[in-house]
Amino acid sequence: MTRRRLLILAGLLLFAAEPARAEATLTVGAIYVGSVNDYGYNRAMKDGLTAMKEAVPGITLLEAENVPETAEAERIMEGMIQQGAKLIFATSFGHQQFAFNLAKKHPDVVFEHAGGWMQAANFGNFFAATQAAWYPMGVAAGKMTKSNTLGFVAGVPIGFIIGDVNAFALGARSVNPKAEVRVVVTGSWADKAKEAEAANALIDQGADVITMHVDSPATVIQVAESRGVYSIGFQSIEARALAPKGWLTGLGFTWGPFMTATAKSVIAGSFKPAMVRQGLGEGMLAVAPFGNAVPEETRGLVLAAVDKIAKGYNPFTGPLSDNTGAVRLKEGEALGNDKMGDFDWYVAGVIGKAK
Amino acid sequence: MSTPFAAAVLSSSVLSGTSLLYATLGELVGERAGIVNLGLEGIMLIGAAAGFAATSFAGNPYLGIAAAALAGMAGNLLLGYVVIGRGANQLAAGLALLFFGFGASTLIGRPFMGAIVTGLPRLALSELGAFDLLVWLALPAALLLWCLIFRTRWGLALRAVGEDPAVAFAAGRRPGQLQYQALALGGLLGGIGGAHLSLALAMTWDEGMTAGRGFIAIALVIFAKWNPLWAVAGALVFGAAEALQLQLQARGAYVSPFLMTMIPYLLTLTILVFWGWSRRSAAPAALGRNFFGVE
Amino acid sequence: MPRDLALALRSPAALAVQHRVPRAVAIALASLAIFAVLLLAAGKDPFRAYRDTLLYVFGNAYGFSELLVRMTPLLLTAVAVALPARLGLINVGGEGQLYMGAWLATAGALGCPDLPAWLLLPLMTAFGFAGGAIWALLPGLLRAAKLVNETISTLLLNYVAPLIVSFFIFGPWRSAESASYPQSPAFVEAARLPSFFGTRIHLGLIYGLACLALYGLVMSRTRWGLEMRAIGGNAEASLRLGIPVAGYVIAVMAIAGGIAGAAGMAEVSAIQGRLVAGLSPGYGFMGFLVAWLAGGSAAGILAMAFLFALFSSVGDILQITQGVPYAVVNLLMAVMLFIVLGQRRPSRSGA
Repeated sequence: MTRRRLLILAGLLLFAAEPARAEATLTVGAIYVGSVNDYGYNRAMKDGLTAMKEAVPGITLLEAENVPETAEAERIMEGMIQQGAKLIFATSFGHQQFAFNLAKKHPDVVFEHAGGWMQAANFGNFFAATQAAWYPMGVAAGKMTKSNTLGFVAGVPIGFIIGDVNAFALGARSVNPKAEVRVVVTGSWADKAKEAEAANALIDQGADVITMHVDSPATVIQVAESRGVYSIGFQSIEARALAPKGWLTGLGFTWGPFMTATAKSVIAGSFKPAMVRQGLGEGMLAVAPFGNAVPEETRGLVLAAVDKIAKGYNPFTGPLSDNTGAVRLKEGEALGNDKMGDFDWYVAGVIGKAK
Repeated sequence: MSTPFAAAVLSSSVLSGTSLLYATLGELVGERAGIVNLGLEGIMLIGAAAGFAATSFAGNPYLGIAAAALAGMAGNLLLGYVVIGRGANQLAAGLALLFFGFGASTLIGRPFMGAIVTGLPRLALSELGAFDLLVWLALPAALLLWCLIFRTRWGLALRAVGEDPAVAFAAGRRPGQLQYQALALGGLLGGIGGAHLSLALAMTWDEGMTAGRGFIAIALVIFAKWNPLWAVAGALVFGAAEALQLQLQARGAYVSPFLMTMIPYLLTLTILVFWGWSRRSAAPAALGRNFFGVE
Repeated sequence: MPRDLALALRSPAALAVQHRVPRAVAIALASLAIFAVLLLAAGKDPFRAYRDTLLYVFGNAYGFSELLVRMTPLLLTAVAVALPARLGLINVGGEGQLYMGAWLATAGALGCPDLPAWLLLPLMTAFGFAGGAIWALLPGLLRAAKLVNETISTLLLNYVAPLIVSFFIFGPWRSAESASYPQSPAFVEAARLPSFFGTRIHLGLIYGLACLALYGLVMSRTRWGLEMRAIGGNAEASLRLGIPVAGYVIAVMAIAGGIAGAAGMAEVSAIQGRLVAGLSPGYGFMGFLVAWLAGGSAAGILAMAFLFALFSSVGDILQITQGVPYAVVNLLMAVMLFIVLGQRRPSRSGA
């Protein structure tokens, strides 16, 4: 059989085998850096996509988990495009370059990347402005700690995460000037054994409130719970199920509305690329319910802080010094949202080296 | 209340090194019989996944340990069949087992991902601290294995097979059978090593979560001169390398985690060079059918 | 048919191929069958997966190109194993040598960003080769001096190399531009190996094929190849015949490491565009298996690399279309390996 006939036959087979495809309004592809069952980052992304799928009829969702932040990602996304995807969500920071490469190749496909900064006509960037949202978390931690040592397990030490730590510390010290934050970096978004060891190390150093910015809060929270210390969750508010006794509060992403809106705009042909950064109160971030351990007075303080942030308070306003004493922000200066990725210093009260 | 630094590092090293120790002991037994298993990482993964799956299913982490041990044993017996029964190249067979372990563990663990399990509880059996059962049993396990290898007839036969299977055969031993037994025991220990990660340390399952510990254990066997007691020291050293840098970070001192993690490997290599120089090799002579040792 | 052709078809090489190809196909099919059973047990549809893979790989330019992209590093790492194997040496250090090649090539790219491509690329290739060569040189020296067996030394150094890379991308080479995400700065255009046909197939493929052809030629037609086979057969006797065994050990290990290093350079220059942590998903180990399955023959390496790449594509398809984690495809490779391993064969040197 000639090659041409073989190809035609193959095409017919493909066509014949997938009749349902013709009815889909939109095929959406999504790549996750880890497993969606992580009570964390990937779970939140999945929940958002599920909400989108329910809100918009006729969406076919293609998903791939455990897609590494290397050139492999390009292969997977291209595969999805071959399967007809016209909207791709590249959900992890390290997927950016590869999604961008493909965006140049496929001008008819829309790409949305989470957490980066690149933009093109068919490439948008979205994330929640997490940094300021950590401020109320710090308030909770600062009030609840008895040892005045707070522990933070950080995954990959990018500027955005350093900003999270800083806001956390600023919030804690706003209600408890003696509070200190100790940071341990695991070097990876998801290395469970290291996270467990890091959490243990922090608790050994006296931390009695533990929090984290890694993909899955599960391990850190479980370690904290098993050693009887408080925990503050991140990524997904479902994580509170892991710590019935020690849960204080937490932050979770709610991507549903944004993803739904994006899908609708792609279907309508009205997609406009943007650098979307929504803070607390704008729909992408939610504060988890309080744990039983948190007294009324503290709840009030935390909610007041949440309100303050939602109304536009920027914790990164001068005068502000880093933890070596050097002045970083003078009176009247402030760091805007666009500068959040540039952090390479910790504020006073954080024990650790950022660079 | 913060614990003194040394105590914290020791505690972390012990916690970190326990899974390493079990895996090392498992590899050690097999190598004493002359079989090198490059797929130890795969065995640990299978143990971690099976242990987690069983615990999630049955609600009991001790059952999980049993499941992990059995799964590890099965994996090693597969290696045994191919190497002993079919005479295959040990290195290739080990790597095949490695791939097998990655794939099988993913398949086993996938339905249970994200499940919340009651991990192994910490028991304060002495004032040294509160650790889970596997940690408490680690040192006794090493001691028992030492007795087994050096103080029993079985152990003597095992070592004979590892030195020269032909001579052992002539002396009336059954090399194949002994090697199977050694591999079974080795797989059991390796599986338990994996289970400690998923049931005690991280209390979850994730693809590839052993992160190279199986290979570290293979290096550790050499570091320990194929002796279970030295393996304990080695596991502490390797465990400390990781624990130390995290503890140092928590204290605010920064040491490159990568440089620290490199040290044990370089140390092992240096020790090997030293042995080669002094013509001392503690390796079983027929290990890997004349791969190891210097011709 | 013409007499020359008839004679050629009866040559040992041709007979070997006629013998081996049907057997290899049978093994591949058996592996796919067993894997299909496993998939069915897990509730997935293997036939759809296989069909989709064939369509993807053979009916689709991108799919086929990605197959070649996957094959490329395997060709190089397999030769890096096959070459020393001729001497009876076992090089399991392909991973580490690949990483060190990538590392040194990055040093070249970052250090000389202003050179034009026709200077920079050969420079980076040389650096990549050198990086891997140095990494394999140490085990080679240790083995030649009869201090440490190369199996163990290359295995240990496998773990040190990625740590060195991580140290640099978290530290001195950390790119400030991407929010301090641990990776090197992006390579300039001149430092990127060119790609063809608008796909990701890159010059590394030529490197691989050239290495393979060179390897086959040297082994079968040169004096070096003959001497190497002599050493592999009986090192003692070769020494007595005056063949410089130690010299060969050192040189061959270095060259093998260099070839693996070139694979690292190609990956980092053509595919990644910068130095990152997860550079190799096990190319070194897969190269070992490819070389081993191929029995060290150049044609065999080509075929086996193709097969491994094909199996990898099955993994991709399963992940995209059926939500099966890619890692499960390791089972397919393992099944094939166990089938091959399980065939009783007389022990031969290097086995």
